[in-house]
Amino acid sequence: MGSKPKVAFFDFACCEGCQLQIANLEEDVIGLTNLVDVVEFREVLTGSAPEYDIAFIEGSITRKEDEERIKDIRERSKLLVAFGQCAVSGGINRLKNNRESLDQVKKEVYGDSYNMPHLDTYPTKGVDEVVKVDFHIPGCPIDKNEFLSVVKAIALGKTPSIPNYPVCIECKLRENECLFDLNEVCLGPLARAGCGAVCPSNGVPCDACRGTVDNPNQNAMHEILEKYNYTVDEIKRKINLFGVKPEVKK
Amino acid sequence: MEILKISESDFLSFLDKKIDEKNEKVIGVVKKGSHFVFNELESSDKLALDYDVTMLPPKKYFQPPKELLLKYKPGDSESYQAVNNCDPMAIVGIHYYDLAAIYMMDRAFSEGERDEHYMKKRENSILVGLYPTKYFKYRFAKSVVRDQAYKVADLMMVKMNGEYIVEVVSEKGKEFIKGGNFIKNNYTLQEIDDAKNKVKDDQKIPISVELVPDYLGKNHAHPVWEVFGEKCFSCGSCVLVCPTCYCFDVRDEVELSLAEGKRIRVWDGCMLEDFAVCADGHNFRKEKGQRFRHRIYRKGKHLPEKYHYFGCVGCGRCQYSCAADIAGPVKVLKYMEDNKQGGQNV
Repeated sequence: MGSKPKVAFFDFACCEGCQLQIANLEEDVIGLTNLVDVVEFREVLTGSAPEYDIAFIEGSITRKEDEERIKDIRERSKLLVAFGQCAVSGGINRLKNNRESLDQVKKEVYGDSYNMPHLDTYPTKGVDEVVKVDFHIPGCPIDKNEFLSVVKAIALGKTPSIPNYPVCIECKLRENECLFDLNEVCLGPLARAGCGAVCPSNGVPCDACRGTVDNPNQNAMHEILEKYNYTVDEIKRKINLFGVKPEVKK
Repeated sequence: MEILKISESDFLSFLDKKIDEKNEKVIGVVKKGSHFVFNELESSDKLALDYDVTMLPPKKYFQPPKELLLKYKPGDSESYQAVNNCDPMAIVGIHYYDLAAIYMMDRAFSEGERDEHYMKKRENSILVGLYPTKYFKYRFAKSVVRDQAYKVADLMMVKMNGEYIVEVVSEKGKEFIKGGNFIKNNYTLQEIDDAKNKVKDDQKIPISVELVPDYLGKNHAHPVWEVFGEKCFSCGSCVLVCPTCYCFDVRDEVELSLAEGKRIRVWDGCMLEDFAVCADGHNFRKEKGQRFRHRIYRKGKHLPEKYHYFGCVGCGRCQYSCAADIAGPVKVLKYMEDNKQGGQNV
């Protein structure tokens, strides 16, 4: 990419916590700006640009206006990276898709104002359900070092590498006692690693906040959860918390 | 072989002296939650030699999970500089099956292209073995391990009546115990032998270990691979905790400045989905059942055919670590025996 790549950050339906992770890079911000030219980043600076080498997208797509905006950004970007679980899979926002009535969801959340025009949302979509996404950075929130590794890989013309193995690996490396042995139900065997097993290492079962590996063995998980007397609904709720694909057989 | 003995309290004082002298890092088994791990000792207080099994085998000291191999400047082929952190260490309390595994690792890393990163760490280490004093329900080492432990141990200890019988296996071991209150042994060889075999294994592989390679060869199409593969999470726990697994991946990590780079190697494993992905995205062991079979073949067929020893030491860690409860070789072979295919089994 000859001169420094022009980079922009955008947010859709999200808490902006993943952008905050980037703002929190502290001394690495300087290194980052040596590597790329940040031309648009509403949470951090003013300014805009007509075209981008890399557009980083946070948040899920939930409205017609969002869809038009993301398509416009895509057209003006050479590469588009979805970062954070909302952008990757719909994230927490996707929970509403599992409910029977979206109107009921809106009433619950917004009360009397539920019919305001800007709240006119449809079922949540990950960014790649609307436009082509070149790379995904999972996590709720993202890991700032993983973000940097993706930027470096792109700058060097390499394909970024995101773990496609479960959290169990990182637990074993930390020699954690398996939470199943302590009668806890943990999504570690399905969940995409990269977090360093931070929750199980502190005794908290994994909720798969980085989504699952590419081919999670959901049927095997189903068997284990049944052993722990979970109902199908409870299993679905647990597995779907971060917008994991909802197909569970049986 | 010289046989000495030392009281438990004198042995702990001896270790404290070794720790204070700082000639080498002293590593031992300590408790972590309700299980055990190898860890560097600051004093002998935390040493817990009455253990069933450790979470990870001592291989983590010779082939660290994430190991810096070299430093370089991107784009400058003259800049490559090997880095090898191989400070001397003594590892205390290694069970005989883990020693057998280290013997196998040594073969793998020394033959052909010698792996200096591994071998230098091994050369700078002292291995103090210990016969297990505690039962572990998944252990089946006695049915698969022969005498490999004595090929790598510097000292072997047997616990008897609050004392340790110490077999001085190597010159390095003899040097290491100088200055400790090790005295003449007064037990008979028969008494020592009985103590070595005091802790029994409940489990054993259902067929004679010498027959396993041929048995597996004839059962390439056995349904066990598919049946167990279906239950497998491909989480890689079984291969990570395995004392004879040594597969790794090599990666480059570059600083944000893009001016400095590090080449590192990290543990990898054949049970992970992407392990066999090669150029152009082709995965030559795409199915879970294929990967499951490969792992068992590797331990029970390929390694025995190449080296004439079973590639599994029966520590039971894989079975213990498997959320799906399918990983143990005993479990696999028993299933095969219980579900014989017409004319296919030996």
